[in-house]
Amino acid sequence: MPKSQYVDPGKAFDAGYIHFEDIPVCQYNKTLKEELKLYTKEDMMRIYRDMAIIREFETMLNEVKVKSNYNGVEYNNPGPAHLSIGQEASAVGEAYSLDINDLSFGSHRSHGEILAKGLSSIHKLTDEEVYDIMKEFLGGAVLSVVEKHMKSENIKDLAINFLLYGALAEIFARKTGFNRGLGGSMHAFFIPFGLMPNNAIVGASAPIALGAALYKRSNHKPGIVISNCGDGATGRGPVLESLNFASMDQITKLWGMDGKFSDGGMPILFNVFNNHYGMGGQTRGETMGFDMVARLGAGFNPSQMHAERVNGYDPLAVIDAVSRKKQLLLEGKGPALLDVVTYRVSGHSPSDSSTYRTAEEIEAWKAADPIVAFKTKLILGGVAKEEEFAAMHESITARMTEIMKLAINDEISPRMDLKKEPDAIASIMFSNQNVPSMDTTREPEVLMPKEECPRVKEIANKVRTAKDENGKPVSKMKMYNVTDALFEPIIDKFYEDPTLIAYGEDNRDWGGAFGVYKKMTEAIPYHRFFNSPISESAIVGSAVGYAMCGGRAIVELMYADFIGCAGDEIFNQMAKWQAMSAGILKMPIVLRVSVGSKYGAQHSQDWTAICSHIPGLKVVFPSTPTDAKGLMTSALNGTDPVVFFESQRVYGFGEEFNKDGVPVGHFEIPFGEPDVKKEGKDVTIVTIGAVLYRAMEAAKILEEKYGISAEVIDTRSIVPFNYEKVIESVKKTGKVLLVGDACERGSVMRDMASNITELAFDYLDGPPVVVGSRNWITPSFELEKSFFPQASWIIDALAEKIMPIPGYVPEQNFTEIEKIERSKKGI
Amino acid sequence: MATPIIMPRQGQSVESCIITSWNKKVGDTVEKGEILFSYETDKSSFDEPAPESGKILAIFREEGDDVPCLENVCVIGQDGEDFSAFVPKSEDEPVAEAQAAEAAPAETAATVEVAAQATSSEATGAISPRAKALAAKTGADLLKATPTGPNGRIIERDVQSLVDRGLTVSGAASANYTTAVEGSGINGKVVLADLNAPAAAVATEAPVATTVAEYEDVKLSNIRKIISKQMCASLTTMAQITLNTSFDATKILALRKSLKAGAEKMGLANITLNDIILYAVSRVVLNHKGLNAHCLDETMRYFNTVNIGVAVDTERGLMVPTVFHAEKMSLNEISKEAKSVIAAAQSGTINPDYLKGATFTISNLGSLGIESFTPIINPPQTAILGVCGLTKRIKEVNGEDVTYSAMGLSLTVDHRVLDGADAARFLKELVFALENFDLLLTK
Repeated sequence: MPKSQYVDPGKAFDAGYIHFEDIPVCQYNKTLKEELKLYTKEDMMRIYRDMAIIREFETMLNEVKVKSNYNGVEYNNPGPAHLSIGQEASAVGEAYSLDINDLSFGSHRSHGEILAKGLSSIHKLTDEEVYDIMKEFLGGAVLSVVEKHMKSENIKDLAINFLLYGALAEIFARKTGFNRGLGGSMHAFFIPFGLMPNNAIVGASAPIALGAALYKRSNHKPGIVISNCGDGATGRGPVLESLNFASMDQITKLWGMDGKFSDGGMPILFNVFNNHYGMGGQTRGETMGFDMVARLGAGFNPSQMHAERVNGYDPLAVIDAVSRKKQLLLEGKGPALLDVVTYRVSGHSPSDSSTYRTAEEIEAWKAADPIVAFKTKLILGGVAKEEEFAAMHESITARMTEIMKLAINDEISPRMDLKKEPDAIASIMFSNQNVPSMDTTREPEVLMPKEECPRVKEIANKVRTAKDENGKPVSKMKMYNVTDALFEPIIDKFYEDPTLIAYGEDNRDWGGAFGVYKKMTEAIPYHRFFNSPISESAIVGSAVGYAMCGGRAIVELMYADFIGCAGDEIFNQMAKWQAMSAGILKMPIVLRVSVGSKYGAQHSQDWTAICSHIPGLKVVFPSTPTDAKGLMTSALNGTDPVVFFESQRVYGFGEEFNKDGVPVGHFEIPFGEPDVKKEGKDVTIVTIGAVLYRAMEAAKILEEKYGISAEVIDTRSIVPFNYEKVIESVKKTGKVLLVGDACERGSVMRDMASNITELAFDYLDGPPVVVGSRNWITPSFELEKSFFPQASWIIDALAEKIMPIPGYVPEQNFTEIEKIERSKKGI
Repeated sequence: MATPIIMPRQGQSVESCIITSWNKKVGDTVEKGEILFSYETDKSSFDEPAPESGKILAIFREEGDDVPCLENVCVIGQDGEDFSAFVPKSEDEPVAEAQAAEAAPAETAATVEVAAQATSSEATGAISPRAKALAAKTGADLLKATPTGPNGRIIERDVQSLVDRGLTVSGAASANYTTAVEGSGINGKVVLADLNAPAAAVATEAPVATTVAEYEDVKLSNIRKIISKQMCASLTTMAQITLNTSFDATKILALRKSLKAGAEKMGLANITLNDIILYAVSRVVLNHKGLNAHCLDETMRYFNTVNIGVAVDTERGLMVPTVFHAEKMSLNEISKEAKSVIAAAQSGTINPDYLKGATFTISNLGSLGIESFTPIINPPQTAILGVCGLTKRIKEVNGEDVTYSAMGLSLTVDHRVLDGADAARFLKELVFALENFDLLLTK
């Protein structure tokens, strides 16, 4: 929607054709002789060795899985093992030209990629560099095992042992694994070698890798990003969203309009290891219609993502293709797409009985084994002799046996002891740091001094309370409201943290659907603040990748109801990576969502319960300008993922509780601390979100009409949450109501009611009572009063369930019979 | 045409009264002016005369019932007349209707006794943890509780109501207390003795019937309960200190003697020593504003007028009628007014408005020969003067021992807001005024 780009009706209907370029399909045809001009014998033998190591590693895991025995060593591994026997040439070919600045993200089937890129990195780093990396990693915990218990010929040899041991110990859930055993087979990674997290959710790495590329692009970092996935993953929305997001026109057309910050296209290579099957579904011929994955490139941008189909059974063909793509990306011509044809001889997992393919097919692919083929090629080309390969295999098998013995030794490779250290996992669920700037070495890139930002000027003239000194309501135009309160800490952070990036749908000129970013466009350049495509998975997933690389992101999903569109990204990715990485990764992301009203069933639901259920997310829901500003400041200074709930009912509200008005300067409201908005002695009303104002109304009626003094406590935070203040209040009043706009069943209010019952049972004069919305769809605005809790409902619930009020006639039916009936019907 | 008789409202603050006795029963014939029933407020008691002659057609409330003011109590009319229109609503539908009528914006609503609720929510034995804890702490007699929570649950306010009404069980009795009995202990507390008597009788069937009861259970009157509550409240909320002194009563005794002789001729009242002390206090206390004051939470209210409460021993118990604006009255006027309010209090016909508003209280136990005592302050007042009996004392005058009549004074003040020296200064000036009463009178 930039005004600089005119949508011309005079051209929109012009006749013509869309032209496509030919997409190369396995066009690599260099001879060994030609290639020997590029590679030495050592290079060739190393390519072979790396493939052989991967094959042996996977073979070992397969043997352990199916026979509980590898090379005479007994072991039972109950964890997963998604092996890639057959795909070694693709992995080694890809890794060959990558260095540690090039980040690769993978899938559940990524052991091969880890080993290939690890081995390639070890080769490229100096002895000092590689030793320093090993020494510093987890305080030398992994290194000390291989140093102490294995003989290594030199530093590089030691590093190979380190790589194999760290990966295997991780797969076997050992504390000495790369991620303390918390990631496991499908999530192992090792950032110092540019090996970024692999992902057990099919296709989930695509938006995360996109975020890493965004980090490189917006922060001018060297290197490229590889997003690995299988052909099955191309059916996933997040993958397709990422292909589009990476191809957005604005990156080359609008970002850096003044020429100051232009770095070209997104530096990402979407690399599809096309092994023909998505678990058992055959992509080509059954579950997809693209015939070849490479065809997808033509759908996303005019350069067709430089898509190519490559022979993944020939490591030299893959090296050739990846090297060319890397060059394109470094030239600012990204993104790129590779369709690397390969085959998984092993099953999807050891339990796969290959019902979906014939024995003949498997045998035929085995006969074309890329490792054997490469060996034959080298022998026939006179590069090496059979005996050299035999000796190499012998040494690899011996090494692998030794590594395995170490990794299964409970003394040397213990598991995390949760009896001795019960908080070992609890302590890494959140990083809980306060880091005002993620990169203090750079100045933030902005377009004007902060004071000149039109919105900042506008806010400076606003009245920071809802009522003036005479008690009269301040006019809407002059009143500092919740959107201003959210804007202030965000604009401050843009001028403090050079890595801060904000995006979402309609964020830039529109200012976000609810105007929080209004008039910020003039101050912040495109590459830090832009309109995303309508791709919720890619929005949140890319924020995860951006944070993994060391940046800070604030992304927006407009309505809370759209959380569902980014379910995996919020619940499996954003929430879990800090702990899955054993605390190695930080996740400074603020995800803004807004709870609606007036817009019916799919635009009005409070989803706090779903977010707070998932471990690893912090969840807050302010309803006043002061709380909005203080909590946003805390969220932006923190290093944890925060789902920041806002309410469309209160964006225009001024400060009604804090008599001094919303403080002008920087201040934090710590997460977890509820706020007593009104003191009282007879009953406690705990509120979540905008229902605060209806609770205040109820408190007023109770006080004025019935002489009942209500204490109103605004939770403000949901995760974490400190119950002390609530319990203190309940000890005083003995009566507590929990009120929120979320549907009552399974709500946060229910959870809190249960906790209060446990924590204050002896002080209760009645059960903690929940007043939530009905378990219905949200009806139209005109019917909303029968759906969302009203002030009268709160009084009804008190009178019917806790303390009958003389003279009060309830409207709503809160009786036990009604409750049981509703529950029976699921409503 | 039948005539309903309502429970009168005796004073603005009175919400309900308790019927203490019925003189008539249904079917009796009454003459206009005959007493139908007696009732009492928390402060005084009254008789209700028949407004006209006729037959008692219906009685809606029994002795001991707490009846909201203005509600129908009985109906007088002729045989066969229909009185259904006069049946009080609360009698009809005790729950919802009565409450709806009461719905008023009342600061008391939260603590109001929702007794009527009990009928709709049958007692189930359910009790909230909080109510249970309060009962354990206070010894409230849960068997007498009226549950007002949902589903017959006893909630905190129900236990508080028991405590407020003095319905408690002693620790010793609680172990075997399973059936509600009337309590004979202080404030109606159920004590061991209340349980043992019937329990023993059931268990052993002996001793059969003793000819003379070992004790008599008498329910506390409403006034007694109020006194009890107020006295306890006074002592638990204040830091009370009592100072004792005495003064030479020679001059006031002489004045009293001459008044006795000449009162009739001068048309004066029968002025007593007590009236003289009232007069002296009414003049002196204005110089000591801290003693003529109310302590209201965090503020002090100092009065520019002197309203003296006079403690009166009545059949029902202690009552304290007020002599308003004593500082403006002559000794004679004070004497007349004091006599009038004391008589009303003793007869139980005093207007309740006269039982409040005092700024200072005088309690006189002198006629009962008391030499000193510790009077208890009537909150929110800050001081009370106890007047004691006359004793002979010796003092040295010109080197010789001379006997004189001394009268004791016991002053209790609230040490939270007054210091001992403040009280002593007041007493010193009061003693001087009484010892030189002739000078005070001429002032």
